[in-house]
Amino acid sequence: MSSTEFLTDELTEVQGVDVEAALDPVEADGSYRDSRECAALALTSGSTSLLLSPPTPRPKKG
Amino acid sequence: MEQSGTSTRLADAVQGLTSELVSALRSGGPFGLAGSVPGAGGPEAADKLTLAAVRVVGADAVLPNVLRHTPPEPDDLAVFSGAVHAYPPPADASPTSTWSHWAMNRTLLRLRGTPDAARPGTPGHNGSSGHSFGHSSGHDTEPRAAWLDGASWQSLTHQLAVLAPLAVPGGDCAVTRVARGRPADVARGFVRAVRRRDWLQAAGAGRWLALLDGVPDTLGLENGLAFVAQMGSADPRVLLQVEAARLMRTGAPV
Repeated sequence: MSSTEFLTDELTEVQGVDVEAALDPVEADGSYRDSRECAALALTSGSTSLLLSPPTPRPKKG
Repeated sequence: MEQSGTSTRLADAVQGLTSELVSALRSGGPFGLAGSVPGAGGPEAADKLTLAAVRVVGADAVLPNVLRHTPPEPDDLAVFSGAVHAYPPPADASPTSTWSHWAMNRTLLRLRGTPDAARPGTPGHNGSSGHSFGHSSGHDTEPRAAWLDGASWQSLTHQLAVLAPLAVPGGDCAVTRVARGRPADVARGFVRAVRRRDWLQAAGAGRWLALLDGVPDTLGLENGLAFVAQMGSADPRVLLQVEAARLMRTGAPV
């Protein structure tokens, strides 16, 4: 195996650390729905309304 | 943050394997793990990328067999076993990695028909595979779920979604017992995930909810899952969780 091949293998081989990272992902950043998606949800949600309810108010400070 | 080349290749391999699993669950047709991962012609040909992808997908890599109660082909079992043994959790592994590995070991024992594995949720049992490629003594000792004690409903939902492969019929363990005790929190987490457009978390939480009793009727889980599948359709990992949930909810011939 040439040094180039060796280096390529080293750089491309999946390491245990990659697997561990994939098994313990951080929570994805949230991005909130736009009106188009709200409309789609309204069409599919039938008689339920929980998913469409407004966010719960934040507690007031002080 | 930019992904490294190897983690991108791993992510691609995971996506490919998951796509095959989704197709198998939807069609009800035969599924062969060894033939589902690019580059894996058989157990000997399974390269490290293949084994890593199977390890990341976890026990779900043989989900069609688990849900249909059908034994996998010997080559599939060899690939699955190879992933279990190639990537054991390191000493400083995260709880999700440890539990994922435990779930794979338990599934492996079940698929081999080991008597101990037929009794789900036997805490701390130390069954041996009885096969030459065992190495499982001690590996199937159930880990602790203490890290979930007192977890906020947001954190609980995230952790459960990551550990969605544990959500299978009859899959009793410490994590499932925690989930069973907090159905309203998981339902709340499902709604939060939908509102944050975190389709993967929503799908994983929805899969758990499909198994739990005491889920609020007002949640509209079925419609919610359909919405998640629609919005997250670009990601086969989302579709895998939704399909698993659907099959478990409908009791379809799985």
